[in-house]
Amino acid sequence: MKKHAVFGAALGAVVGAMLAATAGATTAQAADREIVIGYQAPLSGDRSQYGEMFRNAAQIKLEEFNASGKLAGAKVAITFEDSKDDPKEARNIAHKFLDNSKIVGVIGDFSSTVSMAAGEIYAAEKMPQLSQTASHPDFTKLSPWQFRNITTQAFEGPYNADWIIAAGKKTAAVIYIQNDWGISALDGFVSGFKAKGGKITATEAFNPGNRDFRSILTKVARQKPDVIYLAMFYEEGAAFAQQREQLGIKIPLYGTSSLYSPKLIELGRESVEGLHLATTFTPDNPDPAVQTFVKEYAARFKSEPGMFAAQAYDAVGIMLDAVAKAGPSVTRESLRDALAATTGYPGVTGATSFDPVTREPAKALAKMMVKDGRFQVVTGP
Amino acid sequence: MVFDVFFLQQVINGLSIGCVYALMAIGFTLIFGVLNVVNFAHGEVYTIGAFVGLMVITAMAPPLLAVVPLVLAVGAVSGVGLERIAFRPFRRFTDEASQKSRAMREATLLSSLAVSIVTREIMMHIFGGDMQGIPSGYLLQQPVAIGPVMVASGSLVIFATSAVMLGALQFLLYRTQTGLGIRAVSNNQLGARYVGINTDRTIVTTFAVGSMLGATAGILVGLYDGAISPHMGFAPGVKAFVAMVMGGLSSIPGAVACALLLGVSESIATEFLSSGWKDLITYSLLVITLVFFPQGLFGHGRERA
Repeated sequence: MKKHAVFGAALGAVVGAMLAATAGATTAQAADREIVIGYQAPLSGDRSQYGEMFRNAAQIKLEEFNASGKLAGAKVAITFEDSKDDPKEARNIAHKFLDNSKIVGVIGDFSSTVSMAAGEIYAAEKMPQLSQTASHPDFTKLSPWQFRNITTQAFEGPYNADWIIAAGKKTAAVIYIQNDWGISALDGFVSGFKAKGGKITATEAFNPGNRDFRSILTKVARQKPDVIYLAMFYEEGAAFAQQREQLGIKIPLYGTSSLYSPKLIELGRESVEGLHLATTFTPDNPDPAVQTFVKEYAARFKSEPGMFAAQAYDAVGIMLDAVAKAGPSVTRESLRDALAATTGYPGVTGATSFDPVTREPAKALAKMMVKDGRFQVVTGP
Repeated sequence: MVFDVFFLQQVINGLSIGCVYALMAIGFTLIFGVLNVVNFAHGEVYTIGAFVGLMVITAMAPPLLAVVPLVLAVGAVSGVGLERIAFRPFRRFTDEASQKSRAMREATLLSSLAVSIVTREIMMHIFGGDMQGIPSGYLLQQPVAIGPVMVASGSLVIFATSAVMLGALQFLLYRTQTGLGIRAVSNNQLGARYVGINTDRTIVTTFAVGSMLGATAGILVGLYDGAISPHMGFAPGVKAFVAMVMGGLSSIPGAVACALLLGVSESIATEFLSSGWKDLITYSLLVITLVFFPQGLFGHGRERA
């Protein structure tokens, strides 16, 4: 831990020196405009590990961008502010960012609640805001100034439904956890599956903490659906798969991205073999963009990047590409329009497009299945 | 509703889950029968059994049958420790008024709850709140086909263990000197003391035996479930409590029968309702029993001290 902090400090110093050097170079050219992006995230407190990952990933992306020469005549910098995962703090930061005329766009915050607290101010004062993680349905409904690049169950459900239908499977039973998230996952999948002509044979809820799925399995198996769709987390998913095996039920399993965890395989072992799920980011994805990011992140920060770091990496990338598109004379308005026009951004969490009206992201998710005791990317249905 | 092979499978599923409740209810009821107080920490003894079992398995990889005596020993030690911390201090007054005092009884109820919370929190600190996997060689999850229905090997082991525990306890209670002592203390603690029974030792013995059963239940259910966590004792603890109350509070065979009844009812109810409602079935059965059979289904209507 301590070693890590020392390393971080040393790294900070190096990056700082590099930035200072580049800043010196740009002032010499004098014509270059400095464009600033505000990044608000929890950098201290309970959730600081997430803010830390965001900052790490953002630094990598920013350096790549400035080195790429996509934006001639201007340099982009990112200013970080610590929101402590606190809505009050987030509002203060929003005012601070708005007062800085160099800031043309904001990334963050981490949780939906905090993002929306700041978002109300950005909406009123017309500042484009892109959150890498806020998944609450109401976030993008605040105003045309809010964007997110994380997908919700309203996107993932129909995506999985298409995948299952494309694999020639026509009937499905859905098992979901009885909470807000589980119900949204159920709705997303069922509406998508029915729209494609699939038939839902059963929807079964279970209470959080339940460990015995034998009765549900037996009930569901009677109707012999082609697949069982699981909207739950890895702990329940592993127990479900084990009990399915014990009961000798062979119906294939598909699930939500929430099951994507090494723990699923650790707990479920052979029983989770063949489980299919689609996820935004996996460090095993052979895509060269993903591999470059994973190697760079691991080399600098001595850890494998997870979904959160990848989300931030892409959020920064989308924002910077929009800045490049708007040109060196970018304003808050022109940046918003450029963001709204994002189509097929080739990120590490899948190619991302924003719906110009709802500003909800659509992504090409990585389709995976458990094979030989690990998650592997599958191609085709 | 069709009475087909799936329905039969549901009954078997219900018996499997009922056996898990029963395994826990046996130790729970034994301790209740002697002291007339609910031992809230029984679920933690169960969890300790599971964690110690897992630690031994990961550290030494012994044969499964060698794990059991060790878990029994750990259970006995934690039972004796639990009695010393949460129950003994409230028995230091031996006059008749204190012995019959309700306040004293309720105080031990809370002290056992306190021990339970502290133990669980400590385990969370040490092991974390996540589920821990069991090495695959020890899992009791192999499917066994009995005719058209499937059961897990663990269900059979748990069923056999419940039966052995029940039989052994009945033997201990009705055929041995110690059992006579336990029954005497259970019947009337003061009277037992007057006729020369060492009530303290009898109570400690009861805790040791009850907790041995609890710890064994924990590791078996862990192996059957495939994962253990510091919270694993809570849910079956509640069901075991309901089974004990339905069974008439101090009747061990009654508690076992009611535990099986609960399991089967929950399982069959899933056929008609969403499984999210299954706890409703459990508590409805409890209310119905209490309204129509206030002494429980197998209670003897003995005088409460």
